[in-house]
Amino acid sequence: MDLVRDVMDQKLLDREDCEMGRVDGLVMEVGEHSQPRITHIQIGGTTPWMRLHPAFARLSARLAQMWGPKRKEPVRIPWSRVMTVGRDIKLDVRVRETGAIDWEIWIARHIIERIPGGGHVEEG
Amino acid sequence: MWIKRLLGLSLIFATACKPPTPAEQMESALSWIGTAGMAGKAWLRHTTPDTYTRQTLELSHDKLGQLADELLKSPPPGADSESLNSVLARSRKRIARLEALITAKNVRGFARELDALRADQRLVKRMSDRMEPNE
Amino acid sequence: MKKVLAITLGIVTSVGGFLEIGSVTTAVQAGAAFGYQLLWAILLGTACLVFLVEMSGRFSAVSRHTIVDATRERFGFPFFAIVMVGVVLVFFMVLVAELGGIGLSLQILTGIGFPWWAVPVSFVVWFLMWKGTFGLIENGASILGLVTISFVVAAVKLNPDWGAAAHGLLPGMPGTDKAKYGFLAVSILGASISPHLMYFYSSGAIEDEWDKSYIPVNRFIATLGMTFGGVLSMAALVAAALTFQPNGVEVDTFEQSALLMTTALPKWGFFLFAASMLFTCLGAALETSLAIAYFFAQGFGWSWSEDLTPSKNARFCFVYTIIILLAAVPLLMGIDPIKVTLMSMALTAATLPLAVAPFLFLMNDPIYLGEHRNGWISNTVVAITILISFVLALIAIPLQILGG
Repeated sequence: MDLVRDVMDQKLLDREDCEMGRVDGLVMEVGEHSQPRITHIQIGGTTPWMRLHPAFARLSARLAQMWGPKRKEPVRIPWSRVMTVGRDIKLDVRVRETGAIDWEIWIARHIIERIPGGGHVEEG
Repeated sequence: MWIKRLLGLSLIFATACKPPTPAEQMESALSWIGTAGMAGKAWLRHTTPDTYTRQTLELSHDKLGQLADELLKSPPPGADSESLNSVLARSRKRIARLEALITAKNVRGFARELDALRADQRLVKRMSDRMEPNE
Repeated sequence: MKKVLAITLGIVTSVGGFLEIGSVTTAVQAGAAFGYQLLWAILLGTACLVFLVEMSGRFSAVSRHTIVDATRERFGFPFFAIVMVGVVLVFFMVLVAELGGIGLSLQILTGIGFPWWAVPVSFVVWFLMWKGTFGLIENGASILGLVTISFVVAAVKLNPDWGAAAHGLLPGMPGTDKAKYGFLAVSILGASISPHLMYFYSSGAIEDEWDKSYIPVNRFIATLGMTFGGVLSMAALVAAALTFQPNGVEVDTFEQSALLMTTALPKWGFFLFAASMLFTCLGAALETSLAIAYFFAQGFGWSWSEDLTPSKNARFCFVYTIIILLAAVPLLMGIDPIKVTLMSMALTAATLPLAVAPFLFLMNDPIYLGEHRNGWISNTVVAITILISFVLALIAIPLQILGG
């Protein structure tokens, strides 16, 4: 598997094919006496901005604290939850349990639902 | 090499930020007289609503005024600036009268004034053709 | 039946995307200033666009991914971020111009200045996106946009010299005003080869659930739709050449453009022009707003669809809501939409390489396209378009200053 080509920036779907975002980063464990291995997929937060420049990451972190779900850390999904890697990456999780769509739910509840015709976010 | 290109580009910007030449201003003046003429003709044929025609005539009047002031300050070479100023002022007055005639719904008066405006346009065109070439 | 109805995607992309305030303004200015001499620019832009739009549709139908998806996946977040900056800036200006175009159309009809229309027009555009479905936007805009056929009727009624017009299909240089000629050529190409058209079309193929069986239909749609738009644009140029040049009028304002069909169609010409601009700018405003929202949603992996209730794709709807709100501000301040239009066309030209260059890689990627990758003809056209886009990018801004 080519990590850069086949994993990084790919779309993530949960077991019900709901969009979870994209692979913004990978967490790798490097042991003293063991081969480096991928442990987690990282989604959102400052992760993608860090790939541009740390200044963007700092700005993103500051903005995230002022507004929205105020999540401090990016979402991490264990690599063991990866079911298939193809055009999209399917994960053996339920998106709402991961925090990957916290922003989506926050915007839906605090802004979209308040506008007539916006509908309602499903609970649970 | 890239320094030369940067300097070249800066020169382009420096020389490019120049005001229009008197010849270009003459063309614009002709254009706005022509616009007033076209709008007037369309109104006579009941093609355009009163509000649009009045607004277009007002726009032509204002634009022509700005151009006339600039041409007075720096007249085109080879042009009789007194005659030019006189015909542009006359055209502006005609355009203002056309506006008033729309409000008064005076179609006959409007048609006469429009013919006179076209004559002014031909005069300005002859002056423009006699001028020194722009490029 | 669905495939036959699918041609409306091509027509709305053409009518609302190709034919909008940018292409009409530049075509009319070009006709008034240079007669038929810039027809070649419309022809060249149309030809490039036919191929690019066909590729966008084929890409989405086969891979079930959009161009934006693939740009992020194939080139990574840093490159995507650069494209995003360019896209947001240019698309925003285009949206301002289109909303302004609707406002100007209403201004010439009612006499009420366009700044007063900024809020109601923005609200209508937003409301159509909020409550409407992709099908409603697609079909509604394309049906209303058919009023632009009046451009062709007007051009034909003016009895053009078809031989001279045919000459205009070949590139040449004018005797005078070379800078203005160059600027208009660049603007026409910028107005024609618009990235938002490709992103919208690619997303629309997913919204309409295209698959590999749509490949022949896609080719037909791209060719027919873009050619239709190109012909309408050329008709506007021809009509402008025959209407404005004899009167010595250089077209700089929307009020002057409104006289385009008053000679050829005395009874209805003015109203047909106003209606044409109203509907095409409305279609383009919807398309551009959607293109911006699609870009963010697809790039960041959010859920997106014009057919979902807003709460089910909250971030997608939030983006277009904010962008439409912000686009109303310059108009409220009275900034001339025509000036914004011309600047946005030049900026589109300047940022074109960012949108077009990835095509060469994406359309030859076996993972996305399998056996449906580009052949040598399509690759040659992409390569030529990339070359043109780099040339445009270099000369667009200097020409804007010199000749704009």
